[in-house]
Amino acid sequence: MENLGGLFNPSSPEMEAMAGLTYYTIALCLVILGIIVIAVAYIIIRYRKKPGDDGEPYQNFGNIKLEIVWTVIPIAMVAVLFLLTCSTMKEVDPPAGDRDPDLVIIGHQWWWEIRYPSSGVSTSNEIHIPAGEKMLVRLESIDVIHDFWVPELGRKIDLVPGHPNYIWLVAGKPGVYLGACAEFCGDQHANMRIRVVAEPEAEFKKWLDGQLAIPRTPTGGIAGEGANLFQTMACMNCHTIRGTAAAARVGPDLTHLADRDTIGAGVLTNTPENLAKWLANPQRYKQGAFMPNMKLSDSEVKSIVAYLEALDEQ
Amino acid sequence: MSSRIPLVPENAVPLPSLKANNGLLSWVSSIDHKQIGIMYLIITLIYFLLGGLEALLIRVQLAHPGNDFLTPELYNQLFTMHGTTMIFFVVMPFLIGVGVYLLPLMIGARDMAFPRLNALSFWLFFFGGILLYYSFFTQSGAPDVGWFAYAPLSEKPFSLNKGPTYWALGLLASGIGSVASGLNNVVTILTMRTPGMTMRRIPLFVWMMLVTSLLLVFVIPIITAAFAMMLLDSILGATFFTPAHGGSAILWQHFFWGFGHPEVYILILPAFGIISEVIPVFSRKPIYGYEFVAASTVAIGLLSLGVWAHHMFAVGLGNAANAYFSLASMLIAIPTGVKVLNWVATMWGGRINFATPMLFGTAFIIEFVVGGLTGVAIASVPIDWVVTDSYFIVAHFHYAIFGGSVFAIFAGVYYWFPKFTGRMLSETLGKWHFWLTVIGFNMTFFIQHFLGVMGMPRRTYTYYDMPYWGSMNLISTIGAMILGLSVLIFVWNILVSLRHGRPAGDNPWNAWTLEWATTSPPAVENFELVPPVRGRRPLWDLAHPDMPDEPGAKTV
Amino acid sequence: MANNRMLVGFFIASESIFFLMLILAYVNFHGSVTDGPTAVNSLNPVVTGIFSLFLFASSFTIWLAGKSLRNKNHFMLKVWILATIVLGAVFIFGQGLEWSGLLDKNITISRNVFGTTFFTLTGFHGFHVCVGLIMLSLLLGLALAGDFKGPKSDAVECISLYWHFVDGVWVVVFSVIYLWAFL
Repeated sequence: MENLGGLFNPSSPEMEAMAGLTYYTIALCLVILGIIVIAVAYIIIRYRKKPGDDGEPYQNFGNIKLEIVWTVIPIAMVAVLFLLTCSTMKEVDPPAGDRDPDLVIIGHQWWWEIRYPSSGVSTSNEIHIPAGEKMLVRLESIDVIHDFWVPELGRKIDLVPGHPNYIWLVAGKPGVYLGACAEFCGDQHANMRIRVVAEPEAEFKKWLDGQLAIPRTPTGGIAGEGANLFQTMACMNCHTIRGTAAAARVGPDLTHLADRDTIGAGVLTNTPENLAKWLANPQRYKQGAFMPNMKLSDSEVKSIVAYLEALDEQ
Repeated sequence: MSSRIPLVPENAVPLPSLKANNGLLSWVSSIDHKQIGIMYLIITLIYFLLGGLEALLIRVQLAHPGNDFLTPELYNQLFTMHGTTMIFFVVMPFLIGVGVYLLPLMIGARDMAFPRLNALSFWLFFFGGILLYYSFFTQSGAPDVGWFAYAPLSEKPFSLNKGPTYWALGLLASGIGSVASGLNNVVTILTMRTPGMTMRRIPLFVWMMLVTSLLLVFVIPIITAAFAMMLLDSILGATFFTPAHGGSAILWQHFFWGFGHPEVYILILPAFGIISEVIPVFSRKPIYGYEFVAASTVAIGLLSLGVWAHHMFAVGLGNAANAYFSLASMLIAIPTGVKVLNWVATMWGGRINFATPMLFGTAFIIEFVVGGLTGVAIASVPIDWVVTDSYFIVAHFHYAIFGGSVFAIFAGVYYWFPKFTGRMLSETLGKWHFWLTVIGFNMTFFIQHFLGVMGMPRRTYTYYDMPYWGSMNLISTIGAMILGLSVLIFVWNILVSLRHGRPAGDNPWNAWTLEWATTSPPAVENFELVPPVRGRRPLWDLAHPDMPDEPGAKTV
Repeated sequence: MANNRMLVGFFIASESIFFLMLILAYVNFHGSVTDGPTAVNSLNPVVTGIFSLFLFASSFTIWLAGKSLRNKNHFMLKVWILATIVLGAVFIFGQGLEWSGLLDKNITISRNVFGTTFFTLTGFHGFHVCVGLIMLSLLLGLALAGDFKGPKSDAVECISLYWHFVDGVWVVVFSVIYLWAFL
């Protein structure tokens, strides 16, 4: 059987606790449903009107004892479910105390800004974490309400403007965990996707160091032309490339774009060919996104792709 | 029959025109509760077809991942309009309309307490709907911010078009109409009952309409105030819900769900009422535990006022608030369970005639229990964190609102159509309609539970191509097509039966409440004489003078 | 008929929820303004308090109107309705003065959350007072035409119930906006 994902593949202690509670509860619900279905099926067979049977059945108005019984039993069930709810809630969402977040995730229409406050690394849409480590995440929104959801790792949590939230993000094992925005946030809500990349500690350190590197701006060749175009066209009004004058935070930080797996928060796989297609007309792949069609010529696209790819090769 | 008594209390309002067949004008100018009721039903049927069409377009778009049948913008408009239409312009006005038609008949009254107010309610609903749908023809298009219109997405600068303004204005108008309906129903039920029709004897449908109407009166003003604030934000630049200028995004959610959750019970309580009428008549037994069914309704109505933030478990309100709202929401399961078990107990030992109304009534119990049980599950905060805003929720509330309210509405239409028109709906077409509905509905929505827990978010015009997601969505889409077909058969049944249906007579189902004591359709003045009311089933008492309901008609 | 009074009673209950929401919005943002106008730095509780007395007095006069009708004193009925209208109009005049003073200082509904909640709350209340004044004027017109024979009239009772409600809302609004800020 293929991996069904989500609830069927809990990959953190928090998600395991929630999945356990969900299974118990759904099982209980199925038992109740089963009782009702069997009762109704029995009634349909047993008490269906037979041909020629035109009399009225015994007129029965109710029974107080029975009413009490079927009021009290559900109360007991609700009490148990409520206690399980509270204990699971505590397990999933323990107080963080007085510590700084390991990660800050800022929701934008329609991409995720990911910042590591202690190291100053800034990336987007792809979250690298050390496997097995509990990361305290602070979630904010710069525009509308978004919701952070990586089904295999844990709970949903809203990113509310003016109301920062905190969660624990843990992945038990190394791997890539897919997620998405779960609160409707406008035109491209569907294409606001998350990749959590959980790595062994050493690899995570290596990735972090790579992100911290400030690349040299290529001067000659086609990549150099791309660098010039980037500085002279509107690109730098929205994007950051560290080590250059481009420092805007409207769109994603592109310093280490080539290191990421996808473009446009999950719209395209990140290859030079796809990046060229994206630059030629982002609206074709993500209609309504705030990156406009810059009407670049083919050679301009090629130069900018070369520049963005060159940044990460150093 | 000398024991019959004249209709009282006399109504002070002049009689509506007797020229009921005098063309459109007699309808437009009508203040007769039956004509107004029928107009509600016709308009809601049109909106039902529109909302259904929107749903089918949504399902076609989702038939496979990466589909580009609809643009994201149009998709967002369609799911917004689908939700808004089905809730505010189909289920709610249908139930109000059927209530307006039946309440005076069931309590032996001549008309509603305020016939003109009744007409005002209808026309506010009517023009509210037109205002909403007019937005499709404007340059900015229909609203595209969801039926919940969360701020700040629904406000400037994130919504620069006028869609949300049309949405708020249309719902504001129809909402005021709903308050007026609620007021009218409450006063009618409390003051217009025929002698003998005590509050312990009114049909359960009337009880449920009373609680629903009180909810309308006390809950709609919450959203009226919120709409006013939203409109002030968008028109005069107020800052209620704009965090960038000191406003609060969460305040809108509190207001919206403070209304929105009781609204769910406004959609389901009258449906419970319909079921509480249909099941006894077709089982040939009185309702089991009348007092408990009625009292549980009151309990649900009260509890519904204190559970709104279970829609906000992911907002980050803190564990204490979450725990309270979790417990309060779970408690609703108890009175709801009491109802379901009483319906099952009513059928137990009966002599059940599975005509189409009863088929829908029986299926209602199962489908609604599915929606109700998932409802209890998601009242648990951690489970909600797993499934909220996923397709699991879409499945859950469609089981409650379609499997619950709409199945009950179908049961009610087949049950009362003979009273409304004097003709029976076709049983053959009715059975086709029923089975296609059951198959199509479950095929569409059951599988969405799994899609949800596997990680598919709601309100997305496209989705990840994950293992099985495409095929599961395709199954759902095919189910929706079958459901669409079933609705066409339903409409065809209505159109054919209006002309060629078997004449119904006064009381085709051999039922017991007062609406069946008059002609089908009832004359303008409803009753010539109202039968004496000495119990909950006046027509049973007339037919069985040897064994009347009371004093035995109590839960013992 | 009891119907009419019951309808107005439930209508007032419904309206109370509407005002409750506006008040909750005001309370929610109370104290969240860090700069710009607030109740403390832009309102004058004494002037508004004096104008409020006119509204409170009008509740008394509408009660006297009803009492006159019960005593079949048709002349005093008209006098007290007129007095109620005048008192209500003076209150609205006071509201107008306050609003124009604020607008002159560029304190508007869009300035900050204080402006937003203040103008919305007092605006909807003022609107209800104006509706009441229109109904009272109609009542006066009917009274002058000799419509009310007494001792009972649903119209007089229902409108006076509504007027007491509008007055009662102002007691709460005045307490929440003015007394809370200045006491």
